[in-house]
Amino acid sequence: MRYFDRLHPISAFCYFLMMLLVAMLTMHPVIVTVCYLSSVTFLGMLIGGRKLLSSLAYSVPLVLMLAVTNPMFVHRGETILFFLNDNPVTREAIVYGVFASMMLMSVFYLCRCYSEIMTADKFIYLFGRAIPKLSLVLSMILAFLPKMKRKFREIDEAQRALGIYATESYVDRIRSRMRVLSILLTNSFETSVETADSMRARGYGLRGRTSYAIYRFTPSDAMYLLFTLAAGGALFALILSGGADFSYYPALTPLTWSPRDAALTLLLVTLAGSSVFMEVKETVLWHYLRSGI
Amino acid sequence: MKKDLLALAAVVLILVFVFSGTKIQSVDEYYLTHIDDIREDSETVFLTIRCDTVFDRWDDLDPALKEEKYIPADGMILSRTEYVLRAGDTVYDILDRAVRYNKIQMECIYSANYASVYVQGIHHLYEFDCGELSGWMYMVNGVFPNYGCSKYNLSDGDEIVWCYTCDLGRDVGCEWQVGS
Repeated sequence: MRYFDRLHPISAFCYFLMMLLVAMLTMHPVIVTVCYLSSVTFLGMLIGGRKLLSSLAYSVPLVLMLAVTNPMFVHRGETILFFLNDNPVTREAIVYGVFASMMLMSVFYLCRCYSEIMTADKFIYLFGRAIPKLSLVLSMILAFLPKMKRKFREIDEAQRALGIYATESYVDRIRSRMRVLSILLTNSFETSVETADSMRARGYGLRGRTSYAIYRFTPSDAMYLLFTLAAGGALFALILSGGADFSYYPALTPLTWSPRDAALTLLLVTLAGSSVFMEVKETVLWHYLRSGI
Repeated sequence: MKKDLLALAAVVLILVFVFSGTKIQSVDEYYLTHIDDIREDSETVFLTIRCDTVFDRWDDLDPALKEEKYIPADGMILSRTEYVLRAGDTVYDILDRAVRYNKIQMECIYSANYASVYVQGIHHLYEFDCGELSGWMYMVNGVFPNYGCSKYNLSDGDEIVWCYTCDLGRDVGCEWQVGS
């Protein structure tokens, strides 16, 4: 049983909102690193080590690729390593590339965690009353990729049964994939139109409709909500007052450990680590209770 | 299988093409430039690079650049120096040779729209670093030519000044901007 599954949707949503905002608000290397590590660990806790490894196998090469690409297009920076076609390749640009891609990846992993926890019913429960149309569209968009992945496999298997991959040639196989992709796109367009029609036929978003939800707001949910709000608010105050200012060009700002930096790091570690901590606590408790039976 | 081999050959060809067009130089190699000695009969031009306008707009300047290392106290990145003019030299050629010789950082791009080189930054001071109307402009004999620096052919005794503007040329006395 995962802690975040039992947590009230509003508390979980607040955590993700705070983390996403912090991750996107600043490029400070310490903050980016903490966000990246915590989101990767959290996803590992949610989906398990093996799935996480297969996801990292894609994302780590992507980080490296972006780190190589940035210095090819950005030539600012003091420490020149060598010249490529009369353009300097600088250490600052490489460092910037690494942290920019890490920031991108931490947002990506946070969104993966979000879609693991905040299922469509939770999102609709939170926003269905206030913004029925937008929340429906959002939940459809968020469900889109997993759904497409599943559909892709179905089409792929059907086409395989028809004998489309019965060739040794790599080029032909890629062309077959393209065919499957085009079928998938046509299919998903059609499905989205049908979904919208059937939702309307069932009177979604009409006045006077009630819905049943099983979520109860417990004191521990309130505690967690308060904690995320307080920690997030303090973090924003520190970041907006310039506590996380960092410049990459022309030279990297040296990292300092003033009380403000220490407070910022500590707050961020507490907020970002709270999810991992709760999950670990829950797992340990679960095993402890089970061993007592 | 034949198709696979063809595709592989195409990929290899592209890679070879890309790498054959790539030139890798060490820092010392790049800055190794030959400056002709000035003799009695050689044609010469004068070059100045200055950024003293940023002192009037100090608050707008990127905080990372507010150091003596990047902005010299007198605003002179390169004080008036005489360089030999080779046949067919443009303003850009002289600038390129001078910054390489003096190991001053400079970045520029070739803009196909104007068929000329555009200087983005000199000495780590880039366009837009001091307000959104800031950037590098050049002046020859007190006049701002309204076209790119690699299209201006120099003649003997020309006086080139590269100046950093914080206000689209109005603060350095560019008359076609002052009028507008």
